[in-house]
Amino acid sequence: MSLGGSETAKKPYVSIDDLYRKSTQFQMWSFTKSALEETKKKANENGTKVAKQRLLNEYNNLKESNRTLFEQYPQELNIDTIFDPLTFEEEQKYLHFYCEKIITTADFFNMATQVKATAMSFFKKFYLVNSVMEYHPKNILYTCLFLAAKLEYYFISIESYCKILPKTEPKDILDLEFIVLLSLKFTLLVYHPFRPLYGFFLDFQAVLLHPSPLMYDVNVDKLGHLYNQAKEWLNKYAIISYVGFMFTPPQIALAAMYDIDKRITNKYLQRKYLREQLDAIKEEQDEKKGQDEQKHQDEQKHQDEQKDEEVTDDNQSLESQQRTQYETIVRTIVKCIRIAKAETQTSLQESKDIDRKCFFTLNPAKMMNKKIKKLSSGTE
Amino acid sequence: MTEAETDTENVPQSKYTKDKKVGEGTYAVVYLGVQKHTKRKIAIKEIKTGLFKDGLDMSALREVKYLQELRHPNVIELVDVFGTSNNLNLVLEFLPCDLEVLIKSKDIMFLAADIKSWLLMTFRGLHHCHRMSILHRDLKPNNLLLAPDGQLKIADFGLARGLGNLNEDLSSNVVTRWYRAPELLFGAKHYTAAIDIWSVGIIFAELMLRIPYLPGKDDVDQLDVTFKALGTPTEQIWPNVSNLPLYNSLRVYPPPSRQELRNRFIAATDKALDLMISMTQLDPSRRCNTSQALLHEYFTELPSPTDPKNLPKNKPNEPTVESNGNTTKRRKVE
Ligand SMILES: Nc1ncnc2c1ncn2[C@@H]1O[C@H](COP(=O)(O)OP(=O)(O)O)[C@@H](O)[C@H]1O
Repeated sequence: MSLGGSETAKKPYVSIDDLYRKSTQFQMWSFTKSALEETKKKANENGTKVAKQRLLNEYNNLKESNRTLFEQYPQELNIDTIFDPLTFEEEQKYLHFYCEKIITTADFFNMATQVKATAMSFFKKFYLVNSVMEYHPKNILYTCLFLAAKLEYYFISIESYCKILPKTEPKDILDLEFIVLLSLKFTLLVYHPFRPLYGFFLDFQAVLLHPSPLMYDVNVDKLGHLYNQAKEWLNKYAIISYVGFMFTPPQIALAAMYDIDKRITNKYLQRKYLREQLDAIKEEQDEKKGQDEQKHQDEQKHQDEQKDEEVTDDNQSLESQQRTQYETIVRTIVKCIRIAKAETQTSLQESKDIDRKCFFTLNPAKMMNKKIKKLSSGTE
Repeated sequence: MTEAETDTENVPQSKYTKDKKVGEGTYAVVYLGVQKHTKRKIAIKEIKTGLFKDGLDMSALREVKYLQELRHPNVIELVDVFGTSNNLNLVLEFLPCDLEVLIKSKDIMFLAADIKSWLLMTFRGLHHCHRMSILHRDLKPNNLLLAPDGQLKIADFGLARGLGNLNEDLSSNVVTRWYRAPELLFGAKHYTAAIDIWSVGIIFAELMLRIPYLPGKDDVDQLDVTFKALGTPTEQIWPNVSNLPLYNSLRVYPPPSRQELRNRFIAATDKALDLMISMTQLDPSRRCNTSQALLHEYFTELPSPTDPKNLPKNKPNEPTVESNGNTTKRRKVE
């Protein structure tokens, strides 16, 4: 966007996109859909291994002290029967449930959208590296929100924070803060689609309303309404989904606009990517011609004929290039919308079941003792 | 819980030596060390923990947050971050000197070309911050560090913040007093990158004067000192200024005339004065931005900025990497 001062000599134009590509968000936390899926699966597999080891330690201890019972119930007390880790799907559902909880918790504290969105990003990143079978999501959620509030300038003291959270001590959160930071690989700046959305709101006005309105029924109010609805869309779909890991903030912002009003957004994109650039080419051509005229008068005619051919060739390839670019953008946006809206619905009962399962993978002793108690009372 | 911890527990810190303590800041102890595999000199900033009852220190977190994203020759490089049992360690490039030390070393003479070179590097670094939507909010000579090869690096991002949100309130209690822009002195809740430009303008003046330009004794005095030097803002030159929270009946000083400024900065060329005037406009919307500053004729007119490796350095008797007879000699002569 802006000129790079004396750096201009080397590179005349550094775009926002160029800068974004240098961000840690792009370099370390952007994935293709399949790579993201793979990363989540790996976290689940790893968590399963850790949970199994944890259970095994408990199991061997108890087997030692309850030898007869274990011999009596080889079936019920078989390690493979007992071990019941969260499947990949269950873990994703569970995480989704907690993502929604981030929103309700943040809303309860009246925290700004920025804090909410950053906390959500932290939470998801944490579970791309770890599993709920290693760290229970409840305190991780609270820690992410606390950290996000600190980093987004809505600081809340740990005491007043914990006073309001159910059954949570400062230590529960402060002990996790560093662990969360490590999992985030110390990358703490998160780019959200809200600012680009505002930028598009301004640019929509510039492109669609000036110098004269392009669409008979589109005015500032209409665009303002579109902007507000798109903002809600981001809150409802974008923040909670994983689109931030697959698309750039401007792409997500455009997706919101497109899903709210396809007609207006399409007009904007066409104008921006097809028409606008065609205008630019025309100017360039005129300029070229002007320069040529000054040069070799004699050869002009001959040259011009040649040039004209070249120019039309160029023109066609450029036009098709632009069309491809335009189509790529629309395809990307549509894909983004689909992913944002493909949320997993989890019923309360389902969440409760998964919650129990998670509790036992994290606390195998409790589960084993319960089982042993039940079995030994059954023998009496 | 240990997976993540053991991962970093043994590896990163063994990559560096922590040789001697060189300084103690408000929230950190700074050690000198060496990155073992490159033999590169580094500084390790160990963040004190347990001081802050609310967990990890906010300034340290901000510093990490912004330095991770800002990679530029004129911004201090965050080489690595690692943790040891709940201790946060920032590995920074080694920067043995800062501009404040040089300004105070009265036996070191500054050439106009030297000042231009430092200012240019400051603007390059700041331009990068601003185009990434990051405000530094604490620019002062003490935070402009100097590398052994003469490069200037903007450091200390503990007060920095992104312009990520729209219309949100910002704290006006930022920037060390003497370098605080008038809109901050008036308690403005909304401000822009222009606050950093002001600070650089005041630093520019200080480089020429070799003493602080606007040394207010307290916040009230700062207003007086600022307006005595640059004139009291009125609605005419700064529309809506009287609506700012802390604006009240001030002593009215006239703006300085061009001649007055010439007398104040005897060695400054007209272009240099133009640039400084543009940076120290009372109305923030009239201040130049980093792009405009970088394209200013001051930087293209003669003398050309000094090549960084020939800039004055501190401690002439302690040979630094690049130090050569040339620079020491010049210092004695002037
Ligand atoms: N990158 C560095 N290279 C060399 N020395 C440094 C570096 N950073 C800090 N120091 C030294 O450590 C001291 C404390 O630095 P810092 O923690 O930034 O505190 P402050 O900004 O309050 O002085 C500095 O005065 C300086 O002497």
